[in-house]
Amino acid sequence: MPATRMSQTGNYKTTYRQDQGIFANRKELIWIVLLLVALLLAPLITPRTMLRDFDLIMIFGIAALGLNITTGYTGLINMGQGAFMGVGAYAGVVAANAFNLNLFFALLFGGLSAALIGGIVGLPSLRLKHLYLAVATLAFQEIFTWGVGHSRLLAQGGAIPAPAVSIFGFRDSFLTHNLFWYYLILPILAFLVLVWRNVLRGKHGRSLIAIRDNDRAAAAMGINPATAKLTSFMLGSFYAGVAGVLLAYFSKSVVIEDYGLDVGIKVLAMTIVGGLGSIPGSVFGPAFIIGLDRVMEQVANWLGGLNLFPSGVDVATALRPLSFGLAIMLFLMFQPHGLASWWDKLRQYVTRWPYKS
Amino acid sequence: MTNMKRTLALLALSTLSLAAAQKTVTVGWSGAITGPTSDAGINYGAGAEDYCKYASAAGLVPGYKLNCIARDDQYINANTQRNFEDYVGNMGAPLFLGYSTGATLQLKPTIQETKTPSIMGTFHIGNIDSPNGQYVFLPISSYSEQVVSLLEYIAKKDRKAKIALVVNPSPFGRAPVDDARKAAARLGLTIVDVQEVGANNLDNTALLKRFEAAGIQYVVNQNTAGPVANILKDAQRLNLLGKIQFMGAHYTGGEDLTRLAGSAAKDFIWATSYYLSDEATQPGMILVKKIGAQFGRSAATIQSVHYTSGMTASAIAVEAIRRAAAKGAVTNLSVYDALLTFNGSKAFDPGFTVSPVIFTKTDHVGAEGLRYLQADATGNFKAISSPFKSNLFRLVHPPQ
Repeated sequence: MPATRMSQTGNYKTTYRQDQGIFANRKELIWIVLLLVALLLAPLITPRTMLRDFDLIMIFGIAALGLNITTGYTGLINMGQGAFMGVGAYAGVVAANAFNLNLFFALLFGGLSAALIGGIVGLPSLRLKHLYLAVATLAFQEIFTWGVGHSRLLAQGGAIPAPAVSIFGFRDSFLTHNLFWYYLILPILAFLVLVWRNVLRGKHGRSLIAIRDNDRAAAAMGINPATAKLTSFMLGSFYAGVAGVLLAYFSKSVVIEDYGLDVGIKVLAMTIVGGLGSIPGSVFGPAFIIGLDRVMEQVANWLGGLNLFPSGVDVATALRPLSFGLAIMLFLMFQPHGLASWWDKLRQYVTRWPYKS
Repeated sequence: MTNMKRTLALLALSTLSLAAAQKTVTVGWSGAITGPTSDAGINYGAGAEDYCKYASAAGLVPGYKLNCIARDDQYINANTQRNFEDYVGNMGAPLFLGYSTGATLQLKPTIQETKTPSIMGTFHIGNIDSPNGQYVFLPISSYSEQVVSLLEYIAKKDRKAKIALVVNPSPFGRAPVDDARKAAARLGLTIVDVQEVGANNLDNTALLKRFEAAGIQYVVNQNTAGPVANILKDAQRLNLLGKIQFMGAHYTGGEDLTRLAGSAAKDFIWATSYYLSDEATQPGMILVKKIGAQFGRSAATIQSVHYTSGMTASAIAVEAIRRAAAKGAVTNLSVYDALLTFNGSKAFDPGFTVSPVIFTKTDHVGAEGLRYLQADATGNFKAISSPFKSNLFRLVHPPQ
């Protein structure tokens, strides 16, 4: 039986070519194609408001994948992903307005601007590690927020409208907004996932993982840690920049509040909950955090309607932020590998069935 | 007996058909019940929801039942957009009640596209400025006008006064700075310093010493009550309260400031358009207390100016719906047209504000009248002026 037709657990690879394949085997490829088809058909049965959440999950999925590249795969902690999203958003929208760029050029410009800034912010990573690096990226977040707030070019953090988008004659409008962006963001997410998976199987991707596991050992093997770390920061920031541009266009304007420290922490939480160093985890995390918020909103409304608490004691609405913090804490304590590890276990169980995993 | 039965059956049938014929209009508010600024938002939302429910129960819009919703957006713009989409797109709401500055600025293109009249809890002048300000309405005077009016107060006292502005580090805080500078220049005042202070200002010694060294006599705040309270407490500690007069726009003052600053709030001067809860003879305040009691709100909530503020926004919405319904169908455009009738003899006086709510096609600022209020030794704010409109504001910020 050809290796590509075997399941993942019995996937005996006999050549380097097989080992470097983007997909583990043909079965995985078929599953991915089926998943994409299901995602393409999903809007047919999805309520409009839920589709908005799907759009946000995908946008934050791109940002979380970027953070995963820097933190999950390379081990460089980054608290400034919100600011990198902001750099992309402001650069993309301002350039699009000034030079009449279409969305795809704005995405590219926003991504590259964020990558450039990411490269600069990444410089301390050559000397700093762990908490110290976290503080350095935190400082960048503060500088970004302050800088935008004091820049008249950037409306001092007020709204800068994004240009209206029209693709192949289809125009973004209030009634079709979520659907329009769903079919726009989905291929971008799929493309960026494919790009990262492609990078990951090659020399550069593996060097990042080597750096994460032991940078001195990696250096002894001929990997340049400085190049690898800066590449990681730039690539992670590029993804954040693209996500930022998408968020700005999806929201119809860029406002500083969408790119603050809380957003950076949220993306970090999404990455941890999803699973550090996992591509599916980069989407599971945003889905979980956004889904949890929606569930808790319903629970809060239900509890609020029961009038269980004395007037003025609004326990119900406090459930949303409380559940967010609790979820992160519980994941860190009991499931540090995130939802992606559950996904792996499920896959293994299905693959090995009827044998015990 | 048979006739009696027939009459009863007919009565029941007609009641049922009337109930069935009664149409429902959604009045939805989205704001911060939790998260940043939720200290004000929770009461604002309660006021908006309670007035709407009261109006629905009292049949203020004949033939219509109001579906009153107040949702927490946690001060997150994406949540506000989602709520707007749900209210307007899914529930067919003919108008929208908003709250936060960033979300409103971000929503403006969508509001313009959907032609949805929107009444905001943020009084940022940029909300109604072009572009995309056509369907946005401010219930009361803008932050900019409030700050300019405080400068006018200072100019009457001392034309050579040295002034500092302390603003929140956000679009909400920075909004009035340009207009304040222009107004100060016209009044001959000197704005010596503009400082940004956020919610994390636990020690303001350096800030206040800087003001003292610069000979600042007046500090005008555009912020929320929390940061202002911290500044006042530090000023009290540094014995600066008598030397520097502290003042502020709508969201700086009221019972929130008194509660947080205690005795340091004494003599703080506040500019707002609302009546206060302890002005018990005002018909609007009697109504506020009645509605608050009807819906089981705590004394603190009923006393909050933000509760009154939420009610004002809701009252404007209900009145606009009533006027639209009286003319025919209730749609976004008919409600918009109804809002534009709030002038002349048809100006709307909800009783919550010191002047009636007046809207025209070019003027989207509702109750523009302001009063100066000053905190006494017990922390209660007492009016030190009659209602007035800023003479200068339109000169430094013409309608755009």
